[in-house]
Amino acid sequence: MSLVAGPGRGGALDGQLPDELQLVAEKHVAYIQKLDTRRDELEYHLTEHLRLSGIYWGLTALHLLHRADALPRDGVLDFVLSCLHENGGFGAAPGHDPHMLYTISGVQILAMVDGFDELEKRVTDGKRKIADFVASLQQVNGTFAGDEWGETDTRFLYGALNVLSLLGYLPHQRPNEEPALIDVKAAIAHIKACQNFDGGFGVAPGAESHSGQIFTCLAALSIAGELDSYLGEEGKDRLGAWLSERQLDDSGGLNGRPMKLVDVCYSWWVGSSLAMIERLHWIDKKKLATFILQCQDPVEGGVADRPGDMVDVFHTHFAIAGLSLLGYPGVGEVDAT
Amino acid sequence: MSHGVPRVSGTATTSGKSEQARAKERQQIEQYKQLEGDVRARISAHDYSNASLQLTSKLLSQNPEYYTIWNDRRRILQHVFEQELGEGGKSTTAPQQDIDAAHKAGLSLPQREISLLIQEDLHFLLPLLKQFPKCYWIWNHRSWLLRYATSHLPPHATLELWQAELGLVSKMLALDSRNFHGWSYRREVIAEMEKLSGSGMAEKEFEYTTRMIGTNLSNFSAWHYRSQLISTLLQNRRADSEQRRSTFDAELELITRALYTDPYDQSLWFYHEYLMATLDSSNAGAQIILHPCTDADRTAYLSQELDSIREMLDGAEDCKYIYHALLQYANRLIGLGGHGAPTAEMKEWLSELRKMDPLRARRWEDLETKLKL
Ligand SMILES: [Zn+2]
Repeated sequence: MSLVAGPGRGGALDGQLPDELQLVAEKHVAYIQKLDTRRDELEYHLTEHLRLSGIYWGLTALHLLHRADALPRDGVLDFVLSCLHENGGFGAAPGHDPHMLYTISGVQILAMVDGFDELEKRVTDGKRKIADFVASLQQVNGTFAGDEWGETDTRFLYGALNVLSLLGYLPHQRPNEEPALIDVKAAIAHIKACQNFDGGFGVAPGAESHSGQIFTCLAALSIAGELDSYLGEEGKDRLGAWLSERQLDDSGGLNGRPMKLVDVCYSWWVGSSLAMIERLHWIDKKKLATFILQCQDPVEGGVADRPGDMVDVFHTHFAIAGLSLLGYPGVGEVDAT
Repeated sequence: MSHGVPRVSGTATTSGKSEQARAKERQQIEQYKQLEGDVRARISAHDYSNASLQLTSKLLSQNPEYYTIWNDRRRILQHVFEQELGEGGKSTTAPQQDIDAAHKAGLSLPQREISLLIQEDLHFLLPLLKQFPKCYWIWNHRSWLLRYATSHLPPHATLELWQAELGLVSKMLALDSRNFHGWSYRREVIAEMEKLSGSGMAEKEFEYTTRMIGTNLSNFSAWHYRSQLISTLLQNRRADSEQRRSTFDAELELITRALYTDPYDQSLWFYHEYLMATLDSSNAGAQIILHPCTDADRTAYLSQELDSIREMLDGAEDCKYIYHALLQYANRLIGLGGHGAPTAEMKEWLSELRKMDPLRARRWEDLETKLKL
């Protein structure tokens, strides 16, 4: 899988878009399938540090397009497990160091291809080892580090809860196990400390609200079962107002923060956040779908951040996941968290 | 992930490249893979030499996103630092001028060595940071170096390093005032400096936001940072209720004047809403300015601001932020018992909003239901 940008460009053929914009699903499938054949491009090698996440993005997009078969399951499994370290963490590619980000991707892929049995077959106590790796990264203040070098971020906190939930290792999933693997209460307290008066969440206490961080914080609250009780209707209205203002009048696309450019990936971060708080109808879905479709390369497949830019698998994934949220015909349903 | 990379037509696909370009790319790939293989092999063999460090510099300059190589770089540095700290005997062979310099700086010889190495590494990062200001790993590495210094060097030496970081991050934020890596780093720098020096920096930082806003009123992140400083500032000043009130009034006046100049600026409304949220006890994310704050205070301020914002409509009838604010504050007034809530006007404001903001039509529908106008 290559994270190489291009070859195509979103909305290619300068302004000559068809009157009736359509999702070029087959082209996107072909684009994703071809990604791993681009080893003759320098970019392919320069993006190796994202490989495992790239596979996750590609595979999710294929699943949503009902073409899960388009990447061979055995090959995917072999690659994912070749990224797993003895300590239970996944690296981005074989030989790359373990990190929370790739552990999230690794476990999400295993869940998607129903690969946990295969994991246990090849690695004794594989699930337990991964869970222990994730748990070991929790800090005293409840948040999580990305790896042994100590950087913390609410993305890692959400990732930890997500991974443990997929593995069945969250404390409430194992009520008889003492002591609990992680301190969920401390983690959630940290999330709450990241909330701002505008209803949004930042990367750390005191940081400006940001759509990506809002998604991770809402998803973490949701996994912990505290989303509704913590926000309440007032909190949802406040956050919903902020999120809905991310849609811009001229393009119909969404930005990540006030006064920033629109970008296809926020279709997912903002869209799924709105869905989690039952306010997705507060934006114009049709205009958003149109914006997403305009970012496609209708000839070679793939989606870019904005019309006219290079396509890549990251934005292809978030575009298709965004369309799924919007109930676009032909795209499967996605779980907002 | 590629963000904002326009396509140069015809050069992206391999098929569109000339044979010459393809041969050149093959050569670049080969060189890159060789360099990568070399670094990885050295680290596997625990070769933590200066030559290995230089090779990581070369590789990271080509690909600063390669996080494993940053880890390798730290493995090398950590090894060198530990060696310095481990063998104190080395000092007997040190030249007199190094011994004198260390003495003058109030450091032991190994500490001085480590301090120099850290400064060298910080220096290596500078051009990378300027070229890739949004690369997580570069900021992380910087922060790791500073944290290492903090736990291994005496406070006076560390404080100097952090002080230099404050200068750097101010420069970075002057170039891009929305870079959230920069703001995160600034928070870290300030927290560490406060810890090391034992004195609060909220006043100075508050002045910093005043200067930033003075240069450019439409500086969203500076307003945000200001909003985060006020309660600490008042606490540090041990402000009584009157001082708190005069600070609140001064901030309201500042932002109202700015809004009269440009009611279309979202960053200004952000700050106005922040100030008004401090009056809203039901908002979990709101900060405290007025203390105590009675319902009479709340009602008075809400009415005052409603009057002031209503006047902004004159000449800016198409500005939806004004209607937003009016509806929001009027609704809060209703929540406080409803004295003086302009319900008839609210109906009008809402219908104006629906006209000028069709994208969010269903949000306004929900609001209408909620307000029961
Ligand atoms: Zn993006």
